[in-house]
Amino acid sequence: MKGKPEIHEFVKSLLINNGDDGPLADDDSLLLSGRLQSIDAVEIVLFLEENFGIDFAVIGFDKDQIDSIDAIYAMTQTSGKPS
Amino acid sequence: MQNGAPKGNSRESEIIDVLETHPGVREAAVVRDCVDGYRAFVVPTDSYMDNVLGRELAGATVVDRWRKACELSQLTKEVASVPAGFNTIGWNSTYTRQPIPADEMREWVDTTVAEILKLAPRVVYEIGCGTGMPLLRIAPHCERYVAVDFSRVVLARLREQLQTIPAARDRVELQARRADDFDGLEENSFDTVVLNSVVQYFPNATYLTSVLGKAIHVVKPGGHVFVGDTRNLNLLPAFAASVETFQAADETSAEDLRHRILRRMEREQELVVSPAYFLSLKSRFPKLSRVEIQPRCGRADNEMTHYRYDAILHVDGETEASSGDEFHDWEEKMWTLDEIRSMLRLHPNERHGIMRIRNARNERDLAALAALKGADAAQTAGKLRREYNQYVAKGIHPQDCIDLMAEGLEFAVYLSWAACRPDGSFDVFFVPIASLHRMSKPAIDWPKLEASALVRLTNAPGSGKLRNELVNQLLAHCKQKLAEDTVPVEIVLVDAMPCLAGGGVDSLALLASIEHAAF
Repeated sequence: MKGKPEIHEFVKSLLINNGDDGPLADDDSLLLSGRLQSIDAVEIVLFLEENFGIDFAVIGFDKDQIDSIDAIYAMTQTSGKPS
Repeated sequence: MQNGAPKGNSRESEIIDVLETHPGVREAAVVRDCVDGYRAFVVPTDSYMDNVLGRELAGATVVDRWRKACELSQLTKEVASVPAGFNTIGWNSTYTRQPIPADEMREWVDTTVAEILKLAPRVVYEIGCGTGMPLLRIAPHCERYVAVDFSRVVLARLREQLQTIPAARDRVELQARRADDFDGLEENSFDTVVLNSVVQYFPNATYLTSVLGKAIHVVKPGGHVFVGDTRNLNLLPAFAASVETFQAADETSAEDLRHRILRRMEREQELVVSPAYFLSLKSRFPKLSRVEIQPRCGRADNEMTHYRYDAILHVDGETEASSGDEFHDWEEKMWTLDEIRSMLRLHPNERHGIMRIRNARNERDLAALAALKGADAAQTAGKLRREYNQYVAKGIHPQDCIDLMAEGLEFAVYLSWAACRPDGSFDVFFVPIASLHRMSKPAIDWPKLEASALVRLTNAPGSGKLRNELVNQLLAHCKQKLAEDTVPVEIVLVDAMPCLAGGGVDSLALLASIEHAAF
C-alpha cells in the first residue's frame, strides 16, 4: 500500500501542474488556502478511491479531510482498506 | 487566407503558405512587428485538436471531473440541513473561499428566475439543473419541465426536494444525461432551453457549440435558449486581479502580484466566454434571429453581478424592422443618473440610447488593475488595497438604470454588453412603454463590437498543454521550412480572423486582441 511519500509525490505533481513549484510541507493547507482548486480535490479523491479503496459516498466528504498531506495520510489510516 | 498587408509582402505570404501546409492550421495571418519580427496568428483545425492532439478525450475527462466535483459537494454534512429549494452548497466566493452569503444567493436566484420568466416559458428543457434553485421556482409556471444533469447523486437530492413542492413536482421530469446528449429529443419540441451557470464546466468552445447547436434544434420558432450566469472573458484580467489583490499579503510586491494574476488566468479551469462568442452564433445557426447579451441584474457586490452575464438566443423570432437607433456617447457627456432621469422626463415619447456608460460595478477593479500594470517596485498589495478602497466610482451602476423603471417614468429599460468592451462599459436603451405594442422586447440597433473582440471567443481550460503542443509543432514546422529571419517570433492561436470590410485580415484588430488579453 502507498504511504505518505507517495501521497506527497502525488500532491506535488498536482501543484506542479498548476505552475506551483514552491516548497510543500506535510501540514501545508492545500485547498482552504487556494493552492489547489476544487477540480484538484477531485484528483485527490480519485487517488484515494483507486489506491486506498476509500468510498466517499459512504463516509461523506469534507475538504478538511484532504486539506493537507498529513490529513490525507490520516484518512488512509482510518478509512482506507488494507491491501 | 492572405493578411491585410498589400501584395508584394512576399515574406508574410511565404510564412502563411508554410503554416497552412500543417494539418493543424485552418487559417493563418502574419503581422510584421517592427521591433521583434513576424508574429503569426493561427486558427487551429478542430479535427486536429480533437483527434491528433487528444482534445476530445481530454474534454471527456474534464466533464467527468466536474461531475465528480458536483457530487462531492453533495456528500458534505451540510447538505442535510439546507432549506428546501435553496441548496447553495458549493457556492463559495472565489475571494474568501467561504460560502456566498445567503441574501446574495437569494438575489441571484430571484433575478435569474425573473429573467427566465420574461421569456414566458411553458415547455422547458434545462441542461445541468444541479440543485434546482431556479427550476423549483419556474416549473410551477410551466406545463412541462424536463431537467437533466450528469450527476445521479445531485438528481437524487433534487428528487427529494421536489417531493416537498407539489406544484413543481407534478410538472418536472428528471433525467440523468450529459449536456451533449440529446438522443430521443425531437426538433421544435420545447419553447425554452435553459443552461444556467453551467457552461463554465464545459471543456472547450467546440463542446459548447455542439450543445448549443442541439439546443437550438429542439427549440420551436419563437422560443429561446437562455445561457445564464456566464463568465465574461473580456473581464477575466480584472477579475483575476481583484481576487489576487484581495488575497495577497500586505507586503506582496507589485511584481509578485502581477505574476500571481497571470498564473491565475493561465490556471483557469473553467470555461470563460466572451459575449462575442454568442453574437458569432448567428452566422453559424441561421435559425437564430437575434442574440441579446445582458449584464446580470442585482445590487449585491459579488463576482456574479460584476463579472457574469446572460445570453439570450432568440430562435426564429419575430423582429421589427430596425429603426436605426442612435446612441449618445456617455464618455463624451459623463451624465449622472439624475441627468439621465431629466432627459427621460423632458422627452417621454422618444427612444433614448446611451452607449459606453462606465460601469460602476467594475470601475474600481479596472482602475486598480491599470494602476498595477504601471506600478513601480515600491508598490505593494497593501498600499494598492488602501488606495482603491477609497475609490469613488464616476460611472453608473447598471441596476440604477433598471430601477428607473420603478419610478413611474413609463419607459422600458434594456441593458447590453454586446459591444464586448474590455472596460466593462455597458449600453442602455429606453423605449416608451406605450410604443411597445405587442412585442415585449423590441429589436434594438445596439452599438457594434470591435473586430478585435472576435479574435478570442473563449479561454481554453484544460487545453493549455495541447495548445502549447500545437504551437511548438508549428514553430518546428516553420524552422524546418523557412529562413531563420522569417521564422515567427510568436505564434498565437486565435478563435477567428477579424476581416476588413473590403476583404483581407484586419491586422490591427489582431494586434489589439493581444493587448486586450494581456496583462
